[in-house]
Amino acid sequence: MDLFVQQTVNALALGGTYALLALGLAVVFSIMGLINFAHGELMTISGYTLMYCGIAGVPFVISVPLAILAAMVAAVAMERIAFRPVRGGSGATMLITSFAVAMILQVLFQNLISARSQAVMLPPLLSESLRIGNVIIGVNKIAAIVATVLMLVFLDRFMNRQKTGIAMRAAAEDFAIARLMGIRANTVIAGAFAISGLLAGVAAVLWVSQRASVDPLMGFTPVLKAFIAAILGGLGSLRGAVAGGFLLGFIEVYLAAFLPQELQEFRDPIGLGIVVLILLFRPNGMIPSRVLGSVKV
Amino acid sequence: MFTSPRIQLLASAGAILALTLAAVLLASWFGPATERVLTVFLISLTAVVGIGLYSGNSGILSFGHVAFMGIGAYAASLLTLPSALKVATLPKLPEWLAMTELSLIPATLIAVVFTAVVALFIGAAIGKLEGSAATIATLGLLIIVHGVIIGWRDVTRGAQSFFGVPRETDLVTAAVACVLALLVARYYRDSVSGLRLRAGRENAIAAGAVGVRIQRERLVAFVLSAAIMALAGSMIAHFLGAFSPKKFYFNDTFLLLAMLIVGGMTTVTGAITGAVVITLVTEVLRRLESGFTLGGFDVPPIFGTAQIGIGLIILLAMFRKVDGLAGMKEWEERLLPVADLPDKAPVVPQAPATDTLTGEAMTMAFGGLTAVDGVSIRIEPGEIMGLIGPNGSGKTTLLNMLSGVLTPTAGRVMRGDEDLTGLATYQIADRGIARTFQNIRLFPNLTVMQNVLVAALSTHGGRDAPARAHAAMERLGVTGHAAADAGTLSYGDQRRVEIARALACQPQFLFLDEPAAGMNREETDALMVILRRLSSELGIAVLLVDHDLELINQLSDRIAVLNEGRMIAQGTPLEIRKDPAVIAAYLGTGRKTDTKQEGEMT
Repeated sequence: MDLFVQQTVNALALGGTYALLALGLAVVFSIMGLINFAHGELMTISGYTLMYCGIAGVPFVISVPLAILAAMVAAVAMERIAFRPVRGGSGATMLITSFAVAMILQVLFQNLISARSQAVMLPPLLSESLRIGNVIIGVNKIAAIVATVLMLVFLDRFMNRQKTGIAMRAAAEDFAIARLMGIRANTVIAGAFAISGLLAGVAAVLWVSQRASVDPLMGFTPVLKAFIAAILGGLGSLRGAVAGGFLLGFIEVYLAAFLPQELQEFRDPIGLGIVVLILLFRPNGMIPSRVLGSVKV
Repeated sequence: MFTSPRIQLLASAGAILALTLAAVLLASWFGPATERVLTVFLISLTAVVGIGLYSGNSGILSFGHVAFMGIGAYAASLLTLPSALKVATLPKLPEWLAMTELSLIPATLIAVVFTAVVALFIGAAIGKLEGSAATIATLGLLIIVHGVIIGWRDVTRGAQSFFGVPRETDLVTAAVACVLALLVARYYRDSVSGLRLRAGRENAIAAGAVGVRIQRERLVAFVLSAAIMALAGSMIAHFLGAFSPKKFYFNDTFLLLAMLIVGGMTTVTGAITGAVVITLVTEVLRRLESGFTLGGFDVPPIFGTAQIGIGLIILLAMFRKVDGLAGMKEWEERLLPVADLPDKAPVVPQAPATDTLTGEAMTMAFGGLTAVDGVSIRIEPGEIMGLIGPNGSGKTTLLNMLSGVLTPTAGRVMRGDEDLTGLATYQIADRGIARTFQNIRLFPNLTVMQNVLVAALSTHGGRDAPARAHAAMERLGVTGHAAADAGTLSYGDQRRVEIARALACQPQFLFLDEPAAGMNREETDALMVILRRLSSELGIAVLLVDHDLELINQLSDRIAVLNEGRMIAQGTPLEIRKDPAVIAAYLGTGRKTDTKQEGEMT
């Protein structure tokens, strides 16, 4: 039972990070139909900012917002430089463009910083743990869960109360009509990228705080998982992205904890197999986007 | 049976053979180093057309095909690996496999068949997914297969290098495999299945409405492309002699996709162009990567120059030419734009319906909105029935239910005694019901001939398809545009092509959703003559939705009027013109002295 509680906390922490990443992908996808492969590189940029801040002796409370800001700025710059020229292109065109951006950034990190993994200085508090009954929970896990909840609440309020957030939802429903209603395309899209950068930045801080190191390919694996979470939840649906992120986190952590030893090597294939199985029964994801698939004939 | 002019297919095959032969001769003249580069290039090209066969024709970008390359490589290598080595390095291999020692060709054949069977199951599973979801599912496939290869140590040596594979792939073998793959890909594109799949890529809803079963064609392409990938996998395995699971993962996926997309996903010309461009750039940049001297100045080695170069080329290609360097057409389609037409348009006998088409108490609710509410409609064989009503009254929704695009929330669609409710659009199309769409849904990048032909091929078992297609084009007067891309035609011509496409399905019931929209008076009058002859000469029943009341009044035997989702009147044009409910719905219930508005109805 204790093991179960322990693993559930781990699953919440990991699933929360996936949820934030998937949400960042979904915000951009719902508005412009782009699956952003370079989302992981936003995480990496954030991670390196944390590393350099640590080296320069900047206090952690300041370096965290700086790292998040770096991801936001990078996201907006990415849109302006690389994605605006292909806006309105097919899904494949935009996806490949983002993949090229990711590849260029990875090589730049390798050449300009280091091909090897770099240590990040973290406050000692993060590596401590709390004891609640028989369950030992790391502070970094609790921080991850709290940060995820805060971000989700913030995003919910932003999307429902703020003018820019409402404009984004309108643009996601029907971009052409939203523009005719006077919503500026560039503002909405830049806003969407800023939000996705913000989410990637927070996710990066959480990711780094569990591992205390950064490497040029740091963002690749978690964002790959986030893609799958976004599809699992329902591509383009924000609630779906969150649900998919958490579900994927649970699947991974529980498989790692409870799968028999001899099958552990097949953990990833089995996990993905479960995802595919779910998709077979719900091809549009757990919480499908209302807009996608409702083509007017 | 191929769906494009024979001269184009011959030209393409000739060019593929000539180019490959020239490249092989040139490389052997240059020496072993160039031969190696060309061998790798040919294997890459084999894989690129393999991915292109599926992704280009279906429009679904696949990240997963390199997994099939991996499956093919491991399967073939397990068969060719010397028995002694197998016993030593893979002691847990089953006896029969450990003792098997085949040469390259039979091993490759078995690996190709094995991979195709695996792909059949995977393709059937992920075939339900659409668009970006399908793309990400293929990404999952790549990760799953990679994970299985690493985990299945007893057979694959896990993450370690799989070594000792006999190096039997030479330049000629690779060239033969590549020519084979290129020909299969090129001929599939213009096969019946390939044409149907491309129609589905261009417009899935319209493809279904003309009888195309998209998921089945996707599966055909998926299996065929996986087989080509296995061929490429076996070639590269027997070229390298040793490889690890990493060889069949993201790096090569990206490299191959870059080739495919820079060149143009939808054509074999594009695959070749992309592979040549990326290979040349990589070769040049790789030389620069290790550092070089420029005018006495030492440039330090920069790691990853090739990757940055490929990345920049992709960006440049996407910014400048979204469809890739080669665009949407094969070179021979550009240079030899002809349409293969039978010499004389034959008159295809039609079988007029003897039963009626009825919708019984049909209701369609979208969430809280009831678009159509308990409407019953009956279409008699050979009659022209007009369907009118104000905007938003449910006309198109009714048409969508009758043609299977929507399944009614309640009620039934019957043809004679057969219940058509809930059938897929392609099944409806095969039961003699064809339609056009309010916002034109052609296959814009296919020629007019192909647009119409695919409909004829996909209904009534494809019998006499070319003759039916030609007859339909002739009847609508669009034969002159046969070789033109449908997307380049004028609005009126596009409407006519769409009707011709529906007619090629040889229907007994034809639904036309605003066929005269955007046409001027003369065009509308000409259309009216054509439509009347469909009914009088071919005995086709027509259900006609339009806002042009003059057209409706002059053509229709009977008119049905919808308002706010309900049927408010049915009858002859004369009866409808006098019906108070119709007048109220169209003009509102104003003062009765307002006779001028009433006059506009006629």
